Amino acid sequence: MTAMARSFSRLTLGGKILFTLGPILFLLTIGLVLLIAIAGKPIVDFLATNIWLVRFVVAATAVLLMSVPTAFLIIYMEMKIIALMNLRIGPDRVGPFGSLMSVIHGLKVLAKEDFSPTGADRLVFTLAPVAVFMSTIMALLVLPFAPGLFGADMNIGLLYLFAVSGLSVVGLLMAGWSSFNKYSLLGGLRSAAQVISYEIPLILSVVGLLLLAGTMSLNQIVVKQGGWFWNWYVFQQPLGALIFFIAATAEANRTPFDLTEADSEIVAGFATEYSGMRFGFFFFAEYVNVFVVSGLIVTLFFGGWNAPFPWPWPITLNIDPGSLGLGLLFAILIVPPLLILALAAPFYLGRSSMPWWQALIIGFVLFNLLVIVAITGWAFVSWNWVAGLMVFLGKSYLFVFTFVWMRGTLPRVRIDQLMGFAWKWLLPASLLNLFVTALALVVVNK
Amino acid sequence: MSLVPGLGIAKGMALTLKKFFEPKATIKYPEVRLDVPPKFRGRLQLLYDEYGTLKCETCFQCAQACPIECIDMGGVDTKGRYHIHWGAPETYGERRDESALRRSGRPVPNQAYEHFDPIHPDALMAILERFDFDPKNMLHILESTQAEYGHLPVAALKLISQKTGAWYAMIYGAASYYRHLRLEPPSAEPLAAATADARAGRETTFLASFDAALFGGTAPGASHGTAIAGAESPGTAPGAGPARA
Amino acid sequence: MTAAPPHDHLHREVPSDDPRVQLDEAAGTFEPVPPYPPRTEREAEFYTLGDGEMFINMGPQHPSTHGVLRVVLKLDGENVVDLDPVLGYLHRGVEKLCENADYHHTIAYLDPLEYISSLFCEWPGVLAFEKLLDVEVPRRAEYIRVLATELNRILSHSLFMGWMALDLGGLTPILWSFIERDEIAEMLASLTGQRLLFNYLRIGGVNGDLNHDFMSRLGDWMTRATTQIDNNLGLLNQNEIFVRRMRGLGTMDKETAFRMAMTGPNLRASGVPLDFRRAHPYSVFPELEFDIPTRDEGDCLARYLVRIDEIKQSLRIIDQCLHNMPDGPIMAKLPRLLRPRPGRAYAAVEGPRGQYAAYVISDGTDQPFRMRIHDPSFVHLQAVGTLMPGHLIADAMAVMASLDPIMGGVDK
Repeated sequence: MTAMARSFSRLTLGGKILFTLGPILFLLTIGLVLLIAIAGKPIVDFLATNIWLVRFVVAATAVLLMSVPTAFLIIYMEMKIIALMNLRIGPDRVGPFGSLMSVIHGLKVLAKEDFSPTGADRLVFTLAPVAVFMSTIMALLVLPFAPGLFGADMNIGLLYLFAVSGLSVVGLLMAGWSSFNKYSLLGGLRSAAQVISYEIPLILSVVGLLLLAGTMSLNQIVVKQGGWFWNWYVFQQPLGALIFFIAATAEANRTPFDLTEADSEIVAGFATEYSGMRFGFFFFAEYVNVFVVSGLIVTLFFGGWNAPFPWPWPITLNIDPGSLGLGLLFAILIVPPLLILALAAPFYLGRSSMPWWQALIIGFVLFNLLVIVAITGWAFVSWNWVAGLMVFLGKSYLFVFTFVWMRGTLPRVRIDQLMGFAWKWLLPASLLNLFVTALALVVVNK
Repeated sequence: MSLVPGLGIAKGMALTLKKFFEPKATIKYPEVRLDVPPKFRGRLQLLYDEYGTLKCETCFQCAQACPIECIDMGGVDTKGRYHIHWGAPETYGERRDESALRRSGRPVPNQAYEHFDPIHPDALMAILERFDFDPKNMLHILESTQAEYGHLPVAALKLISQKTGAWYAMIYGAASYYRHLRLEPPSAEPLAAATADARAGRETTFLASFDAALFGGTAPGASHGTAIAGAESPGTAPGAGPARA
Repeated sequence: MTAAPPHDHLHREVPSDDPRVQLDEAAGTFEPVPPYPPRTEREAEFYTLGDGEMFINMGPQHPSTHGVLRVVLKLDGENVVDLDPVLGYLHRGVEKLCENADYHHTIAYLDPLEYISSLFCEWPGVLAFEKLLDVEVPRRAEYIRVLATELNRILSHSLFMGWMALDLGGLTPILWSFIERDEIAEMLASLTGQRLLFNYLRIGGVNGDLNHDFMSRLGDWMTRATTQIDNNLGLLNQNEIFVRRMRGLGTMDKETAFRMAMTGPNLRASGVPLDFRRAHPYSVFPELEFDIPTRDEGDCLARYLVRIDEIKQSLRIIDQCLHNMPDGPIMAKLPRLLRPRPGRAYAAVEGPRGQYAAYVISDGTDQPFRMRIHDPSFVHLQAVGTLMPGHLIADAMAVMASLDPIMGGVDK
């Protein structure tokens, strides 16, 4: 036993992980095989009759899984972009251009002490980050990423989204209340006041759009914006889009409306007493929320997954590799080494100091990149949803960039200015927008 | 604030976007290190030479330059004494002279507070032209100046300091360190030679005892002694240079 | 409380039966109330909560209290009702240290008083010593002093711009102004040898002449300073959010400002053109041409804009210094050990925050008998008592940032 423990301790980190996971995976595989062999037929039958269950589980898992890299990417974007605007370099040590810095941040948060202050309401204190994270994740479910790629196509999708994202304020209020800290309390109350005020112009600004679209299903709204880019609702509802953008900024607690965690006023707001992974949940939720808000803006006003021009999707490439016959085998065997050699040659010939094996490695890497680009391009042109997903993500991250850009530029507004702006300007403007849209519809339809 | 609402915000956003593409000001510290300014008065450090002896000659120039007299001498001096602490700060000037005498084997005038004679700068300017006013060629400049004027007058040192940008103290330190450089006219040569002789002898014995301490008395310490004695024989030409330079 | 023996307030042990300091976990009543009975009427009044009010303890480790200032705020919701600043977290006893050092040593103790504008802390001390000793400072040394201190003024003001924006939530300006500051700090480092605590002025002159490194850096910077500063200011000066938050905030009228003994940009923002470089000329300022920028509003925006204008005036002064710089020695001839005759001397200079002054009494020995240092930050900090109440927390922070206090100078 001791000998085993000693040899285990001699392993590297990767070895330890493999040594632990290997047997578990082995046993799991055997169990799974046995399960399928014994009870495969009834399970498959059950799933086939209840396909919604499969869809739900898959969608929930996918959304949970994608939320983590999304948050990592946006955190990295925030660090790097603001740094570049500040004339700094920003993260540049971990990974290429420091891109793994946010992952390291995540690990750091995991390794920290799970602290809760004396006098805190433990239960509420623990549940608050969960509430915030859940509301954000649930909002991701209805976003249409691409044709056929969404968690659920509800006919009240927009209403659901507003309802669910409004839930996050409950979590923030819980956090502020239970922390036993007045800064947290101020932050929680601020967020409550802010989110409730901005929900109203946020929803009212979309009502005009709903009149035009005639549906609340996000998927249908996107479908109606197909074709050329002037079909996007931003050109029919510019005021609505502006109000929605401003209100969504406040809804996502982003600068200049980031009063809930204004560090120069109330230290860190509702998150003052949080540390470790509880804080990590807040952090993740905030950045996933940025993505949700950006995706929502894109979905509602900027055509969702529609490209700016009618894209002839899908293009069927008439490639039949089988027609090559035996030549296919030769091609698979001969083309990659030849391509690798061809890609390595300029490096070997161009730089006399480079040994042949380094040139070969470079050639191999380039060849792999080439293959990846080729496969992606092929998927892009021949599958509807790949291109749609790319267009959607591209547009969404453009808005994420805008949010980060605003954070790098603008100072923060004051709480009474914030409320005054919502009630005195945004609300009348959104009502005006609604009135004008309705009037225009009446005139046009007559 | 502009008339159009939001214009100021838009201008600010444009400015940050412009800065986004501009070259960055960060200095990647462990790879790139900033040059310390020549007048840097940071950490004081005693350095050791390749024989393991302190490079500090206890000349007290640093203690004299220190504005708040936070520097005092301790450690090993040239006589091998340990942990010396010198007396009241009022006597620094005298001790400096004494120490300079011990170090360079000749009396050194305290030029900082005394009158010095002017020189004709044309020849010196020509020398400086030839060495491109570069402080890196300081030793050559000083040697040429000595060849020109016979010794290194204070006025010449001041002019060199002014024209090359090196400080007077550094030039003075270099000039008083190298034994072939003279700060006095050559009439004082016999005295200097005599003290240099005495000093060479003293140094040989010191190094021998040092080697004895290091290698237990059986060591090849003689090589040091001969090398230094050879280099410091009174007849050596001024340009030959010391062995430990 | 009535029969409290003298010095009872120094007794810092928490009385275990005092109900105000009991940490009741269930009820959650932990207030920043001092652990001793109230010493004054004001204290008793402040530490009695009204209906719906609460205390909040801001500092000494708060992100925007500019150091280790602690302010106990009495809040009604987010409105500041009253406040009680607690000082002394950075007290080092500089005055007493100076009385135990000889005259040359003193300069090094004056230096770290205000770590943003060290040269201005040295200057009044050195001036007072020179008055005591009756020394005439060489003209070149005076010009070098003016040149270096005006650079230090720009350094301080450009950092202020960044801090002001940071306290309003802007992330970027502080880093841009640090780039500006870094250039000047490098420049002054090549002149003085240090980047932060310059320790450059000497009794009777300065420590070291202008050198090539400094001059080339200065020339390089001067060619683009104006455009660079204007460019950086473009981010905030027209920004609606910034201007709307700053305008009309923390307004201080002329009389109040004067009565509070405010000096420097904070006073000039209220419309009083008092500048010690003109009012009590010292050094070579009578020979130099510059304006005294003033504003009449007296609000935070005015205090901000006055500082911007001062940067431009400082650039003018530097330009003139470079043109008029005479040749000559940089140190007066002085003995190594100074023993001024018994007497007293007072000197004041106009710094980036206001009047920096020193008052020295000599008893004929080589150490000052008494050294009193006047720092503007301390004077300006008392304005928060009148400016902060009635504002929201966010504005209270902005008001404090606009006064630009440095806690090193406040606590001495």
